[in-house]
Amino acid sequence: MTVDSAAANTALEPQAVPAEPGPPRPAARTPWAMALRIVEQWALLILLGVVVLFFAVWSRTSSVFFSVDDFRLIGSSQAVLAILALGTIVPLICGQFDFSVGAVAGLSSVLTAASFAHAHFPLVAGLAVGVAVGTAVGVVNGFVVTRFGVNAFIATLGSASVLTGIVNWYTQGLSIIQDIPSSLTDFGSGNWLGIPRTVYLLVVVALAVYYLLDHTPFGRFLHSVGSNAEAARLVGLRVPRIVFGSFVVSGTLAGVAGVLLLAQSGAGNPQVGNGLTLTAFSAAFLGATTVRPGRFNVLGTLVAIFFIAVSITGLTFAGASNYINDLFTGGALIFAVTISAQLGRRRMGAR
Amino acid sequence: MGDVAGGSTPLRPPVSSGAGGPVVRVANLSKSFGGTRALVDVDFDVVPGEIHALLGGNGSGKSTLIKVLAGVYTADGGEIEAGGRTAGAGAWTPRDAFDAGLRFVHQNPGVFPALSVAENMAIGHGFPTGFGARIRWRELHERTRTLLARFHIAATPEMPLGALSPAGRTMVAIARALQDSEGDGGAGSVLLLDEPTAALPAPEVDLLLDALRHYAAAGQTIVFVTHRIDEVVDIATRVTVLRDGRCVGTLPRSEVSESRLVELIVGRPLEHMYPETVAGAAAGVVLELRGVAGGAARGADLQVHRGEILGLAGLLGSGTSETLRLAFGLLPRSAGEVLLEGRALAGLDPAAAMSAGVAYVPADRGAEAIFVAMSVRENLSAAGVHRYWRGLRLRHDEERRDAQASLRDFLIRAASDSAPISTLSGGNQQKVVLARWLRRRPRLLLLDEPTQGVDVGARAEVWTLVRRAAAEGTAVLVVSSDFDELARVCDRVAVLRGGRVVAEVRPPALDGNRLTELAYSVEVTA
Repeated sequence: MTVDSAAANTALEPQAVPAEPGPPRPAARTPWAMALRIVEQWALLILLGVVVLFFAVWSRTSSVFFSVDDFRLIGSSQAVLAILALGTIVPLICGQFDFSVGAVAGLSSVLTAASFAHAHFPLVAGLAVGVAVGTAVGVVNGFVVTRFGVNAFIATLGSASVLTGIVNWYTQGLSIIQDIPSSLTDFGSGNWLGIPRTVYLLVVVALAVYYLLDHTPFGRFLHSVGSNAEAARLVGLRVPRIVFGSFVVSGTLAGVAGVLLLAQSGAGNPQVGNGLTLTAFSAAFLGATTVRPGRFNVLGTLVAIFFIAVSITGLTFAGASNYINDLFTGGALIFAVTISAQLGRRRMGAR
Repeated sequence: MGDVAGGSTPLRPPVSSGAGGPVVRVANLSKSFGGTRALVDVDFDVVPGEIHALLGGNGSGKSTLIKVLAGVYTADGGEIEAGGRTAGAGAWTPRDAFDAGLRFVHQNPGVFPALSVAENMAIGHGFPTGFGARIRWRELHERTRTLLARFHIAATPEMPLGALSPAGRTMVAIARALQDSEGDGGAGSVLLLDEPTAALPAPEVDLLLDALRHYAAAGQTIVFVTHRIDEVVDIATRVTVLRDGRCVGTLPRSEVSESRLVELIVGRPLEHMYPETVAGAAAGVVLELRGVAGGAARGADLQVHRGEILGLAGLLGSGTSETLRLAFGLLPRSAGEVLLEGRALAGLDPAAAMSAGVAYVPADRGAEAIFVAMSVRENLSAAGVHRYWRGLRLRHDEERRDAQASLRDFLIRAASDSAPISTLSGGNQQKVVLARWLRRRPRLLLLDEPTQGVDVGARAEVWTLVRRAAAEGTAVLVVSSDFDELARVCDRVAVLRGGRVVAEVRPPALDGNRLTELAYSVEVTA
């Protein structure tokens, strides 16, 4: 699906799809046009390089920016967010929003911690609990959306709030810190070959999502439903089943992110969770402007995550405090959706 | 003269009903779209208090005429006089139309089922407001109650519009359009209705026609566009028939007869008509419909054979498109049977129909067939992605090879198979959709308006492809509102009227005019 049609579904950017597109555009064959296309395709990556360079030479940050440790820190700290963002793009591709991913990650980390602390589960069982919690929420979201026809935007906003409430009720607002297996926390903080272990997990998840989206019929079906749900139905696709599946995938990935959150922080913290959602969406939309402009894609999402992280880290080093996080994330989201809408309009020949 | 009326003239009140002369007069009106002449020197007038029907076949120019009168289309030449205002047709604006007392209700009447009747009356007209833009609900409801009484609508102002019948909703739209005209029945204004009955089921049509008769009796002047001869015979006091953009005659009520009207629409005398019989060939029946009802279809019987192209001709609302949708399992069936090679089609499921070998090309390409953000290749594979799913991965190379072969086989002109589908012309997009299905070698191909929005060259290619598929054994069932085209490309054409097959025409007798006659006639002597 395309970013702009996702936006249109929720009236962020209403836009009619022209029934009769304009005349065929001449293929971009001149060197200049091809160069322009390549720049457009990799603009965000280039921008990421520019941002790194800027903070490395700017007098206010050059003294502290960037050591190898900084990159390591950013890499490992962004893994949770990156997995969440990869989860959100699956429903986004078929035109649905899953706003519960952050809350699911929070719930998953708390319940995983509880399964060690209160139920004394072995490591593998505890991990399974965390992932299964995510899958279960995905099943419920998918069911509510496809069976009862509730707008996904509203349904998942609601379930996010419900889950946050459950977490606070269960924990009484206190972190669960006892009996977290050290093997788990080691995974969250250690390195292999100089690279944070969490980054390995991120790479595995990214490859899995890439495989799902680009190398399985399900991925193709997601794009088809997102592009034109009625046409998808008329070529024999079972649209509700596909939409349902997309919520199960995003819920499951949010569960994985929750387990990783626990591994990194060593505690099931009820305060973390919902706040991650918007950043994940920013990255998903920003990612859709790059690598494959106009489509949500895995590599673009990863580039976007690191672009946001590096920018915020740099600005923090320059003296900005906590507010910069909200400011930058929200700004990036609006910017990304605007760009995506423009790209979409141009692609449909309605310049 | 257009300059004079261009808006600088002071507003003049609409002529009163007492004037006796025409309230609307159109002279030498012409309008072309590109090379197509939609209106050619049309003369037409409306006198106060009459119900004037504008009758014509598909593409006869009747809707164009209404849109020119509304100021939506700008005519190329001619003159419009209405409500005492005269203007060169080129300078006639929606504002002029409104000031001249012309009130339009379009085929889609633009009402809001979720809002109350009173709110519907106020939308586009203005809510009565008090201090701080507060809506004066009591006043609005009072005014609405008066309007409902005046227009004989059985409803209360508080009811949601959705609770009214379809005819009732159209009547609300009419009341909304006429609410400013005074209690004399709106003699000064002219109500123009564009195909008001096209989307209504039969009993509702009668209700609406009754209402129109009442309004006319109260002095309201009415012009309505239709393609249904029975309605004209029913209520019109005069009728103007258009054919190929020309006005071919205006008849007073005393001269109106069904055969005379069909003759004017078709352009030659009516032949004696009776349904032609189906010649033998019971072998190789691919699709059989037995008394199938659903939507506008009300008991259609039909057989399509291997290797034949069967056309379905009918007017809007005759059930042609619904017949296709019933055969593809898209529309719930209220009666009858759909048999595919003798076996009943199960349930409401395109996927099941597809696995039984049915392919369906919908009429609205943009909304129902094209994945606009995706590539030509992905659009081609859309109905058969699983074919490339082997060994736990999609075989992209194979898909690409197939796509490139399809571009050649199906005469699709695209920069490459990875080009976005939106960069293709309408005709090439349609060939992509056709190729998507023909690749599957369907046993039955259902085509709904396959050449709509397709240029002339690509049109011929589309038919070449369809004929080739038929030659390879596919049974083809095609719906088109272009009867000449149907007559040219089909082996046989079944004519639908009122949801039933009323006639079948084969080559010696098969031509567009014959189909038009059959589609329009009210009764057939069998």
